[in-house]
Amino acid sequence: MSIFRKLSWYFRLEWRRYLTGIIGLLLTALIAIIPPRIIGNMVDGIHGQSMTGRLLLIDLGLITLAALAQYGTRYIWRNAIWGGAAHLEQLLRNRLFNHFMRMDRVFYQKYRTGDLMAHATNDLEAVQRVAGGGILQFADAIITGGTTLIAMMTLIDWRLTLLAIIPFPFLAVISWYLGQKIHRAFGESQAAFSRLNNKAQESISGIKVIKALGQDDADVADFDSQVDRTIDINRRVNRLDSLFDPSITLVISISYVATIVLGGLFVVHNVITIGNLVSFISYLAMMVWPMFAVGMLFNTMERGNASYDRVMELLEQKTHIIDQTDGITERPQGTLDYHVSQFDYPDDAGASLKRIDFTLPAGHTLGIVGRVGAGKSTIMKLILREFDNYNGEIIFGGHNIKDYALDSYLPAIGYVPQESFLFSTNIFENIRFARPEATKEEVEAAAAKSDLAGQIDNLPAGYDTQVGEEGISLSGGQRQRLAIARALLINPELLILDDALSAVDAETEAEILANLKAERANKTTIISAHRLSSVMNADEIIVLDDGHVIERGTHDELMATHGWYQRMFNQQQLETQVKGGVQ
Amino acid sequence: MADKPYESAWAHSMTTKEQVTVIGRLFKFAAPYKWFFIVSVILSATISAVNVFLPWLLQMYMDRYLRTSNATLAIMWMFAGLYFLGMVTRAIMQFWQNYTSTMGAEYMLENVRRKLFSQLHKKGMRYFDQTPGGSILSRLMNDTMTFSNFWALLNTLMLATFAVISSFIAMAATDMTVALWTLILVPFLALTIWYYQHYSSKVYRRMRERLSELNTKLAEAITGISVIQEFRQEKRTATNFEKTNEAYYDTRKAMIRTNSLLLSPIINLFYALGTVIVLSIFGIRGLHEVVAAGVIYAFITYLNNFYSPMSNMMDSLSDFQNGMVAGSRVLKVVDDQTLAPAQHPVADAKITQGKVEFRHVTFAYDQEHPVLKDVSFVAEPGQTVALVGQTGSGKTSTINVLMRFYEFQSGEVLIDGRDIREYPAEELRSKMGLVLQEPQLFYGDIQTNIRMFNPAISDDQVQQAAHFVQADEFIERLPQGYATPVLERGTEYSAGQRQLITFARTVVTDPKILILDEATANVDTETETMIQNGLDRIQENRTTIAIAHRLSTIQNADLILVLNQGKIVERGTNDELMAQHGYYYDMIQLQNAAHAE
Ligand SMILES: Nc1ncnc2c1ncn2[C@@H]1O[C@H](COP(=O)(O)OP(=O)(O)O)[C@@H](O)[C@H]1O
Ligand SMILES: Nc1ncnc2c1ncn2[C@@H]1O[C@H](COP(=O)(O)OP(=O)(O)O)[C@@H](O)[C@H]1O
Ligand SMILES: [Mg+2]
Ligand SMILES: [Mg+2]
Repeated sequence: MSIFRKLSWYFRLEWRRYLTGIIGLLLTALIAIIPPRIIGNMVDGIHGQSMTGRLLLIDLGLITLAALAQYGTRYIWRNAIWGGAAHLEQLLRNRLFNHFMRMDRVFYQKYRTGDLMAHATNDLEAVQRVAGGGILQFADAIITGGTTLIAMMTLIDWRLTLLAIIPFPFLAVISWYLGQKIHRAFGESQAAFSRLNNKAQESISGIKVIKALGQDDADVADFDSQVDRTIDINRRVNRLDSLFDPSITLVISISYVATIVLGGLFVVHNVITIGNLVSFISYLAMMVWPMFAVGMLFNTMERGNASYDRVMELLEQKTHIIDQTDGITERPQGTLDYHVSQFDYPDDAGASLKRIDFTLPAGHTLGIVGRVGAGKSTIMKLILREFDNYNGEIIFGGHNIKDYALDSYLPAIGYVPQESFLFSTNIFENIRFARPEATKEEVEAAAAKSDLAGQIDNLPAGYDTQVGEEGISLSGGQRQRLAIARALLINPELLILDDALSAVDAETEAEILANLKAERANKTTIISAHRLSSVMNADEIIVLDDGHVIERGTHDELMATHGWYQRMFNQQQLETQVKGGVQ
Repeated sequence: MADKPYESAWAHSMTTKEQVTVIGRLFKFAAPYKWFFIVSVILSATISAVNVFLPWLLQMYMDRYLRTSNATLAIMWMFAGLYFLGMVTRAIMQFWQNYTSTMGAEYMLENVRRKLFSQLHKKGMRYFDQTPGGSILSRLMNDTMTFSNFWALLNTLMLATFAVISSFIAMAATDMTVALWTLILVPFLALTIWYYQHYSSKVYRRMRERLSELNTKLAEAITGISVIQEFRQEKRTATNFEKTNEAYYDTRKAMIRTNSLLLSPIINLFYALGTVIVLSIFGIRGLHEVVAAGVIYAFITYLNNFYSPMSNMMDSLSDFQNGMVAGSRVLKVVDDQTLAPAQHPVADAKITQGKVEFRHVTFAYDQEHPVLKDVSFVAEPGQTVALVGQTGSGKTSTINVLMRFYEFQSGEVLIDGRDIREYPAEELRSKMGLVLQEPQLFYGDIQTNIRMFNPAISDDQVQQAAHFVQADEFIERLPQGYATPVLERGTEYSAGQRQLITFARTVVTDPKILILDEATANVDTETETMIQNGLDRIQENRTTIAIAHRLSTIQNADLILVLNQGKIVERGTNDELMAQHGYYYDMIQLQNAAHAE
């Protein structure tokens, strides 16, 4: 029952809807009593030759009226209760979505995409079932079950009723028991489905490797064996599922036996009329669903409760980033002063950054290099306010970046990661993601600056070409250039390219860097890269290792020190010559 | 090109003729399991007969014995026993009917998946170039599921038909006149079904579209959250989502309204009106003569049997169109003729030497724009041939042709002096080892990733291979060594580690010909040194065709081919090319200059 209490805020909010629904259900149940009773009376009337034309007309009129009224009341409760459930789902889904939008990196590290999706779909589904099916089962059990039972006891015979309904509690037990088993089996079946799905996905994306290794047949055989396992699991589901109807049949057959014998005795001994017996059998059929509903109700509530708790747990998570909504609202501009003495990732004790200091005047470019895991991206994440728990301060345009309202701070920064996300829409919308009001000309200009325009023109539908899951797949270099165009479109005060040119060739890179230099005269840029040619023209280059600076200076200064930078630069120089040298 | 991916899935409705063809072909998938369906049909028919028998039994009981008050306790128990027997029989048949029909559908579904999956493996790389992986997966997993629901629909349809027929026969046998009178409602019923079908399938489809749109947006918002937050687009994204959510809620409300108006409530109404018709005729007759109570009871029960499967059937009809659309999309994949290049029908040659020769090979991916033009070269057994050239010059394409991923248009590719088509595909695959630029791992563990599916490779061989490419060092440091799990795509391993595993995978098959496509391009400079040693070792004693940017690989090559726009513009050994004072010469000069610095 606790789930009904937990959802009481919603029932109170939507009390009109639920009151209408319950009244509709109650009326439906009450009206349902009428026809079997009248039919019984008519049978007796005809049987006893006491039927008159007037009586017949009244009886038929009543049944017709009851049928029409029931049509109305059924419409009312269905609309109210199912509609209420759908509305609850909508409400919770919006709430979850808005919550997701506010959550920080820590949250997204704790919960994987798949889990979040599952909470927002399966769990909400289970909760809405409480507000729909659960309410219905509850009402069915009490209202329909109760009224029918009372009708059978008072209108027909209480002894016959008690005897006939002895097996009925078993219906509740069976539906509860089978319901649980099926739920579990169904969970396994879904897991089998996703295993098969992953297998297939891996084969499709790795098709070239599989073909190259000549493993087609073996891969098909592996798929087949997974399919066999899936069939085995689904066989269990189907078997359990096929048990539902037969168990109902078996349980009520006992009631029928009781009715035939005791009811027959009562008719023969004139305790009840034959018409009563006909009514009784109809009422018996009407008791099946309410009893079944009792069992199902337990399952609905149990699942709904667990799901509701999971959803609430998500909603209770707090972000660690505090947005100064009444903070500075001007656009940050000017010098970037970065002084971080230490930073650790929240779930990782070892310091990720130590004593990072640099000052980047407006219009200057900073290069950050170092091997994988040296901390290049981490430096940028702090500028982006993904984490606030560092020692030190970052000053941009004369103010601590924590003092800005996020709404004015972040739009001044264009961040391009190595792997940027593309939304399932066309290229045009993807580029103007951060500025949906941008015109065609502006988008084209941004694409030109990131050297993507020519590539887009070669695509089947140009800027209208669909990308993302179901669209065409762009190459790594094309994706990176699209992400750069996206960032350039907002004309950021600070542009951050985090290894964002790794998949484009050296020539294109040079072109893009030249464009940036020309277009962004007074704007600041930070570039991290493996390929040192990306940063060689920067005003300052810092070399990171294990979270701290091991070398710093301009390209020429670093080349003179004969350190890591110089070694790497020479090595890469050779490779570039060999790889892309033919003009 | 469709601009809304989630709509395209449901967009078109098919003509009747198309539907008939699709159904015909879908039936073929079910053919191997026909016994499941036959048994299920027979049981459905028998169940509906039992459903008629039970009310008839009660009718007999009431009219013959109770009404005339000559029922003894023995007779009562006999009827109760018969009724019980009937119910037990029905229960058993219900179980098997449901079980055979769902299992038949299950087997058919998995059969289609198996067929489709093995069909996919027969398709050429071109097919995978042109079809997004996500959509192939959706055909294989989701569409097959949708059209297996189609069989559940046939099942309810069949049950409903048998119920309707058997109850009508029973009514007619009980009283022909009254049975005929009940038919008055049938045109109205048919109209309702038609209207519901017409209207609800539209609403239903729209609801499904919006749901999938909703879930797509949700998934994208979660995976793209950093982009959304960095560009401060939370509000816009949320508003947009709320709009979709609202739209979904609207169609759901419409669906609820439609179902409340036209589904079980209206079927209940029809049943009640049918009862009124039956009762009025019996009642009018009852004014003059006796009408047996059992007859009335039986009649009303038959009427119930007639109507009760209706709403179920109407409900599942909504799936009909989806099943058809899904089925036709699955068939489209099956029919696609973008097949992998074929070998000669009786190909039985064996690769013994490992000599590779291209003679005037011309190749275009699209049959129109050649990306390789008149390419000729020979790699003698044990030699290393290096391909160099700009991005897009045709290096990978050369390898694609040699690997038989694509069919070339003219010229000859020879291995050990014989046409490459004379070797069976398995022979080519087992004697040619390809290492790709992007190392790809599969779900399993380290060991299965080296051995892949080949059971002939022993644990010992796996470890030797790992040792050979010097991957054993890091593998043995892993918590479970060779049994350490690899999750999807192996993202928990660094690019270098992944590449070493794929080297071991190639070495363990002991190929005669080794093919390397920039196997070290995507890793940072330090990881590369780790890979290089492994790479040097696997080239020993093998013919190697390598796209490489490492000078040492190229300098030691027996033949260097310089490609430009699909043509070989320079060729020779290191010394020969140095003497030519061409591109290669310039390159080496640069290298020396860099070293001198
Ligand atoms: N979200 C995170 N939580 C914990 N540790 C992290 C996280 N992101 C990165 N790290 C760790 O911090 C270090 C620096 O990583 P990163 O800044 O991404 O390096 P780079 O960009 O130079 O390759 C690495 O050791 C990495 O494993
Ligand atoms: N799968 C493909 N389908 C169509 N065209 C392709 C495909 N792969 C490569 N191409 C085109 O063929 C040409 C040669 O490419 P490729 O052989 O990959 O060059 P390289 O490996 O030297 O960089 C390029 O113009 C490229 O766009
Ligand atoms: Mg990084
Ligand atoms: Mg290539």
